[in-house]
Amino acid sequence: MITLSGVTKEYRLDEQRVITPVRDVNLNIAKGELITIIGRSGSGKTTLLNLTAGLVKPTQGNVFIDDVNLSGMDDSQLSALRNRKIGFVFQFPSLFPNLTVLENVILPTGFTAKSEQKEASKHAHTLLLNMGINEKSAVLPRQLSAGEQKRVVIARALINNPGIVLADEPTSDLDAQTEIEIMELLKKYNQAGVTFVVVTHNLQLLRYATRAFKMENNQLTDITQFKNLNKLPLELVS
Amino acid sequence: MRLIHFAIRNIKGYGFRSLAIFLSVLVFAGLLVGTTVIIKGTQSSLNAGLQRLGANIVVIPQDAEDTFDTALLTGTNDKNLMPADVALKVASIPGVASVSSQIYLSTLYGADCCSFSETPLIVFDPSTDFTITPWLKSHLGRPLATGEIIGGSSIFVPRGNQYISLYGYNVTLAGNLEATGTGLDQTIFMTQATAQAIAQSSLTTAAEPLTVPSGEISSVLVKLKPGADAHKVSLQIYENVPNVSAIESPNLFGTFRNQITGLLLAFFVLMIILWVVALFLIAMMFSMSVNERKRELAVLRAIGATRNYVLRSVLAEASILALGGAALGVAGTSALLYLFQGFLSNIFKLPFLFPSAASLAIIFGIGGIFALITVVLAVLIPASRISREELAIAMRE
Repeated sequence: MITLSGVTKEYRLDEQRVITPVRDVNLNIAKGELITIIGRSGSGKTTLLNLTAGLVKPTQGNVFIDDVNLSGMDDSQLSALRNRKIGFVFQFPSLFPNLTVLENVILPTGFTAKSEQKEASKHAHTLLLNMGINEKSAVLPRQLSAGEQKRVVIARALINNPGIVLADEPTSDLDAQTEIEIMELLKKYNQAGVTFVVVTHNLQLLRYATRAFKMENNQLTDITQFKNLNKLPLELVS
Repeated sequence: MRLIHFAIRNIKGYGFRSLAIFLSVLVFAGLLVGTTVIIKGTQSSLNAGLQRLGANIVVIPQDAEDTFDTALLTGTNDKNLMPADVALKVASIPGVASVSSQIYLSTLYGADCCSFSETPLIVFDPSTDFTITPWLKSHLGRPLATGEIIGGSSIFVPRGNQYISLYGYNVTLAGNLEATGTGLDQTIFMTQATAQAIAQSSLTTAAEPLTVPSGEISSVLVKLKPGADAHKVSLQIYENVPNVSAIESPNLFGTFRNQITGLLLAFFVLMIILWVVALFLIAMMFSMSVNERKRELAVLRAIGATRNYVLRSVLAEASILALGGAALGVAGTSALLYLFQGFLSNIFKLPFLFPSAASLAIIFGIGGIFALITVVLAVLIPASRISREELAIAMRE
């Protein structure tokens, strides 16, 4: 479903300095997986996620979604792909402050000319109901708690029934109980067939993963074998 | 959610910024349209005044050009006179088709015997006149009787009266000419017979008697034969008729035209400065706004909006603000000009004729389009820049 083949991303700061947050990464993700990628801040996790979504172009290598190479796509094709096949849960607050909860959720359905707004609204209510915040569909994001906002973002990510959801630190800034609730929601949709790629620095999320990776020195290391351990090895924690 | 709703929500959501842009456009469009309406109104007024006279050349006493212009434009009295035989001399010049002489008089200042204070009276000769007579034929269908007058558009019968009193003599208002925005609107037109009747009556009924000059006239209106060269004819008038000035119709109100040319130039320069300032101000506000919303717009693209959608959504916001501001600015300015046209005309000593509905519609349209172009130009660069920014970088900022 998702293939990263020899993907490298460099940013040139000036004539001499180049930073390489992702170097020669290879990864295959099958449909229905829940992949967790851990790593310290600045390790390149978010860049990897952005490469996967076509938000940035790799300096080297290729990214394939459903066997289609993103490098060959123009802006409108990439936009359509992100709109129809990929849902996003961003690390930062990403709701539109001037739109209500319901409007935020149905927003991605309005980018295509043929969208049916009545159907979209019905679907959005179902999603919000599943997230447990349907009663707040008419309020503005600033009237919601951090956990509620995260649920709205997840509902928005799922509105177009994407096959893939990319979640960047989905539980950051949340209390322990809300963190569990959010992850349980992701798990529920994962079990329904949605593929999740979750990047986080929270080791507690490893237990939800079908496979787990650590991003270190700009490269991925498979740490799936440790994901169910109650106490993680020291090198993993560091 | 449609793009237009998204734009409206953002306009409401970023209320202060939206209000600032809205007001900038409102002021800009208002001034633009206001200035245009004043210029257009002044030009229309001058043209209507010239058309009313209907002459190719006007012959007046020597060096009386300024007084004559002022009298026609502002409705003041012109007391300059010349011998009546000037009309005959001018009529004999080759190229002249017809001439008609006029005498300019005035009502008394603040006298009970006159319904209007210091109002110009133009005495015309119905046998030769081509200014009022054609109007009489088409509107009244008969010549003016003694005791009847025709008024400019601002002349009316005082409330509660049946007649207008001139030097204590009651005259009947037979009709009103269309507005020209010049002093002709405050002028009373009458025949020689009526003027004489008023003069006769005034000896006993007025605080001061009316004197109709005998053997003297104020002006000669000249109509040329088809194909005749106005400039050559006026040169011949100067050569053959002593102590007169011959003003060709396009040069009429020359002093005033010179004055307003300077004024219009100043208006024009001011408008350019204002346009540049408005453009810069709106561009700066939008640039700040899209920079503040960089992450928000990047998220919009990340969740599937194309560059084009983002660009259109920002342009839609700008266009709504531009059209709203322009509409209110244009309507507000027009309403103010309409309500205070007389006041402004008096203050600035400008002849002013409020433009017709069709002219106004064109001015409104141009004003609206110009405001829209200004805002779109101002917004295009920041909007285009933000829509092309690398998403991952924009989201980090």
